[in-house]
Amino acid sequence: MTVKNVHVDVLVVGGGIAGMQSALDLADQGYRVALVEKEPSIGGKMIMLSKVFPTLDCCSCITTPKMSAVAHHDNIELLTYCDVQAIGDRPGGGFVIDVVQKPRYVDIDTCTGCRQCEYVCPIDLPSQFDRELGAVRAIRVPFSTAVPQKAFLDIDNCILCGKCQQACPVEAIDFAQQPETFTVEAGAIILATGFELTPAGAKAEYGAGELLNVVDALVMERLLAPTGPYGHVLRPSDGKEPDSIAYVQCAGSRDKTLGVEYCSRVCCMYAIKQAMLLSGALPLADITIYYMDIRTFGKGHEQFYQNAKAMGIEFVKGKVARITEDEDKNPVVRVELIEDGSKVVERAHDLVVLSVGMLPGYNPKSLYGVPVADDGFAAIPAPNIRPSVTPKPGIFVTGAAAGPMDIVDSIVLAGAAAAEAAAYLEEVRTPSPQRAAIEEAVHA
Amino acid sequence: MPEPRSNGDVRIGVYVCYCGGNISDVVDCEQVAAALRTLPNVVVARTDMSMCSDAGQALIETDILEHGINRVVVGACAPSLHERTFRNTIARAGLDAGLNPYLYHHVGLREQVSWVHQGNPQKATEKAIRLMMAGIAKARMLEPLEPTVLDAEQHALVIGGGVAGLRAAWDIARRGIRVTLIEKSPFLGGHMAQLETTFPAGEDARAALGDLIDQVVAHPLVTVHTRAELTGVSGYVGNFQAQITQQSRGVSQGFTHFAEAAEVCPVEVPDEFDYGMTTRKAIYRAYPGAYPDLPAIDWAHCDACGKCLSVNGTGLDLENKPATFDLNVGAFVVATGFRPYEPRRGEYGYDEHPEVITLPQMIRLLALAGDGPDLLWNGRTVKNVALIHCVGSREIPGVHEPQPDGQVNDYCSRVCCTATLHLATELRERYPHLNIFDIHEDIRTYGRGHEDIYTEAAANRVGFLRFHGDERPDVLPAPDGDSSPLLVRVKDYLTWGEELDVPADLVVLATGILPSPVDDIISLLKISAGTDRFLLEVHPKLQPVETAVPGVVLAGTAQGPMNIQEASAAASAAAAKVAVLLGQGSVKLEPFVARVNHALCDGSGECVAVCAYEDAITLQTVSDNGQTAQKAVVTPANCVGCGVCVSACPNHAIDVQGWTLAQYDAMLDALAAPLPVLESAT
Ligand SMILES: Cc1cc2nc3c(=O)[nH]c(=O)nc-3n(C[C@H](O)[C@H](O)[C@H](O)COP(=O)(O)OP(=O)(O)OC[C@H]3O[C@@H](n4cnc5c(N)ncnc54)[C@H](O)[C@@H]3O)c2cc1C
Ligand SMILES: Cc1cc2nc3c(=O)[nH]c(=O)nc-3n(C[C@H](O)[C@H](O)[C@H](O)COP(=O)(O)OP(=O)(O)OC[C@H]3O[C@@H](n4cnc5c(N)ncnc54)[C@H](O)[C@@H]3O)c2cc1C
Ligand code: SF4
Repeated sequence: MTVKNVHVDVLVVGGGIAGMQSALDLADQGYRVALVEKEPSIGGKMIMLSKVFPTLDCCSCITTPKMSAVAHHDNIELLTYCDVQAIGDRPGGGFVIDVVQKPRYVDIDTCTGCRQCEYVCPIDLPSQFDRELGAVRAIRVPFSTAVPQKAFLDIDNCILCGKCQQACPVEAIDFAQQPETFTVEAGAIILATGFELTPAGAKAEYGAGELLNVVDALVMERLLAPTGPYGHVLRPSDGKEPDSIAYVQCAGSRDKTLGVEYCSRVCCMYAIKQAMLLSGALPLADITIYYMDIRTFGKGHEQFYQNAKAMGIEFVKGKVARITEDEDKNPVVRVELIEDGSKVVERAHDLVVLSVGMLPGYNPKSLYGVPVADDGFAAIPAPNIRPSVTPKPGIFVTGAAAGPMDIVDSIVLAGAAAAEAAAYLEEVRTPSPQRAAIEEAVHA
Repeated sequence: MPEPRSNGDVRIGVYVCYCGGNISDVVDCEQVAAALRTLPNVVVARTDMSMCSDAGQALIETDILEHGINRVVVGACAPSLHERTFRNTIARAGLDAGLNPYLYHHVGLREQVSWVHQGNPQKATEKAIRLMMAGIAKARMLEPLEPTVLDAEQHALVIGGGVAGLRAAWDIARRGIRVTLIEKSPFLGGHMAQLETTFPAGEDARAALGDLIDQVVAHPLVTVHTRAELTGVSGYVGNFQAQITQQSRGVSQGFTHFAEAAEVCPVEVPDEFDYGMTTRKAIYRAYPGAYPDLPAIDWAHCDACGKCLSVNGTGLDLENKPATFDLNVGAFVVATGFRPYEPRRGEYGYDEHPEVITLPQMIRLLALAGDGPDLLWNGRTVKNVALIHCVGSREIPGVHEPQPDGQVNDYCSRVCCTATLHLATELRERYPHLNIFDIHEDIRTYGRGHEDIYTEAAANRVGFLRFHGDERPDVLPAPDGDSSPLLVRVKDYLTWGEELDVPADLVVLATGILPSPVDDIISLLKISAGTDRFLLEVHPKLQPVETAVPGVVLAGTAQGPMNIQEASAAASAAAAKVAVLLGQGSVKLEPFVARVNHALCDGSGECVAVCAYEDAITLQTVSDNGQTAQKAVVTPANCVGCGVCVSACPNHAIDVQGWTLAQYDAMLDALAAPLPVLESAT
């Protein structure tokens, strides 16, 4: 594979919905964009979701076209499975970025995505995409709607048996592939590195990730997704259809003991969404949501919440102190019922879903020189008027890298970051008398 | 019934999408594809989990290149979502195969079938087959079309001079596109100017706003008109004509005697800047430092007594002479903002007890209060203040009385929780001895830095009480002998649903956010509002700042409740969309417009009479074979393709391209045709 050095106007880091949208908003204006994604496919967390609130659109129906648009845009250079290694200032403004293309061990130009390799590979691994519920092969196309639709080999788990090489009809597999370094020159950078979830083991009181029938909400997204591992909602311990499902809100947010004092902003809505989808998938199941406050603040969200109540989903204001399990592996929730005189009760459910929080996905300090705030997300000195501007001139931030936010807010902020980056480029090209003053004001 | 006819070289590829289960959970997509495969001209009929994915689109591309497909029919979600996606697919493959992207038909199998016939999979499958058959029948008759490409005016009009409008104007200008901003009131800044410190960072609102205004007005590509409103619109994306009507200011540049003029002005009216808690004169400035740096005459109240002229006549003109001018603009940004909810008389005692005020009023009250150790209201020292959330928001149909327009405000206003707690913290800092009660249903401090404000308020001895949405608190006069004049009766669910009486010297209603009244703008721009009355975006997820009208985008609270940060982000995103539209200097218009067959047109002009759009269809003298005659002629840029002229034409001389009468006939025949027989059901 030959990777040429890339000259663009803007480098976008991260190919989730926020990064894709910024890239499109710039490319549609005629700017050249490089989008670098560390994973073998773009799509971010959004492509893993089932349906999205508040419209209940099928998530892949609205994500995959964006992925496709990014891949086919004349002005976008898509760099998947790449890591940024170093960044320097370009003389005269802008950045020179060293990027390493990690070896896929598959030639991306010849691979047709036919998956023959995948069918013959003898290695089964837990699927990260399906949150370890399903299995994948060591060589695989990342997932059915991946972009690019190209195989990659997880070399750490490969036994070099060579079956895939024999099966590949186009001889694309190359065990000797090496990392390749190239440079990207860009006038501005947009960070769209997204978020990670509260780790499963974070909270000892909630079973520290050891209880089989206590899952996180992203697992539930996969269970509900049409492309999910089982095609049904089944509980992990015994494959039984759960009759009673409970959500524990703020499991990892608004929690001093975890050092996460902020609200993750999306969990109320995704829990309500999942509860609604579950009542469709399992009409007889009882669904309970244990919460402290229901924060359905977005456009159309309060109405969504009221609909959920009308559908019979039970909302219980209560603090869940602990989750244990009984002899049948049913999770038992110990909860303080705040509206019932703070009475503490234990309630058994078949399945408990933890509404886990959003943690920063990446710390841009050392590589990009962008400091983070106390909450770990990128610092934004003038949040009111310039919500996508970081302290580092020429570097902007969008999506969950700028703090927890849902898809709409990510798309909006992505447009804002694109506007800031475009303005920055134009002002560098034709310096205006105000520019210095603006920079000074914002970055002081 | 006529058998569907095969049409020469037409080779149709048919694709039925599962829509990730949205369609296939109800419709047997495999059966649909199998049935369609038997139809004339259908070369391939395939299914896919999601046709719009890259892999799905690749199926179509491959079929075009390898099977010589030259018409594509996709059955999937609504055309509004993905018709364009698939046209682009064809265009891409067509680069090699020479295929026109309009040789495409989209059938809505989700909204029209699976979502509405969930209970009846078999009938739903049959209906899907029929709709697809109709689409195939149309596809046989599709013809290549070309979009109209027109120069675009690189000039945008921003309506509204609050933080959203200002931010949008600034971004568009910085991108190199000319902007005109019109503001209805005499001063820029909108509601942000009425705030003191803002959450989340405690920033000085007017200072931050002032900086932004300075940048905007100093930018060479920006023109600002205050007291100006949009009063007429014609044209289309890239080439709108906007008519703007501007009231005079009454005061011109160089007038320097504002203080003296205000002093002598005898007309005193409630000052809207302080929500009626203070008064101002008929010659006024919104606040010191407001832009522009000139007072204005309030025409509604000035009685032209002329006293101000006696101070110094130069620069004053006491006659309002509204002026109208036209602008050519390529796009509109609607940033008309919000208005705070005004409680009805008696709602929580508002307008009945002087001790009941709104949150916006309270913010002004604190700004005016001075540095004394006590908070005074109505001549009394305030010892107990009760803050009630969700006033005019989160109302429940059937429980709460509808608003005068019959609507129930069932949405959350999003900013009031954090604004209320931000206020509570300020109250605590300034008045350490005050008792503060926060009476809420939920606390929604969702944003970055907001939860800290909540935690701080809790640590600052704010007493929290919680009601249920259907059991809201009551504000009642306190019994004689109580030290506070009012009490708030709350069924408090933090103390097991007990009814508590909270004493109150001041009750602050956290009133919600309503959109500015913009019926005129809605009808001028032909955009729409949602059931919550806020302006409506095309798609809440995918296109959150665009409207259904090309060239009209939304910014800020005109679209829904937002805080400053969110309004700024939305405004910048809107600016990015304007840059996409106008940055290239030209716009492409869809070819779905009327077309006249001059051989059949007899120049009766009935089409012209019924057409609602100016200059879309006109009678012109046309020469044909040496003969001249009056014929109808369409100007594609002005035609919206509504088809009214088609129905009016007595000679069937007019068609809408892409939707011709012959195509409709073929579709109807197909809908009525017998279903294809399958060899064996799978
Ligand atoms: C369980 C759950 C359900 C949800 N449901 C909904 C819903 O129904 N509706 C809704 O609106 N929102 C929902 N959300 C929120 C939604 O997932 C986020 O708003 C959205 O994914 C944020 O997108 P993003 O692009 O900012 O981040 P991400 O999706 O995290 O994307 C970031 C991308 O950047 C890449 N990346 C990270 N670091 C680097 C690096 N250093 N170099 C290169 N690439 C990098 C990552 O690999 C990833 O591809 C849900 C969230 C969860 C957890
Ligand atoms: C009590 C309260 C406290 C708040 N506190 C905070 C806070 O601390 N922090 C925070 O981030 N947010 C806060 N907010 C929210 C903040 O006020 C808004 O987010 C922001 O003002 C919205 O700006 P905007 O430009 O969308 O609308 P607006 O400020 O309403 O501006 C709209 C402008 O458009 C003009 N206009 C209207 N119609 C027309 C027309 N037809 N033609 C021309 N011009 C027109 C109006 O005159 C106005 O100038 C608070 C809101 C309230 C109610
Ligand atoms: S933000 Fe808070 S006070 Fe305002 S409507 Fe929403 S829940 Fe009620």
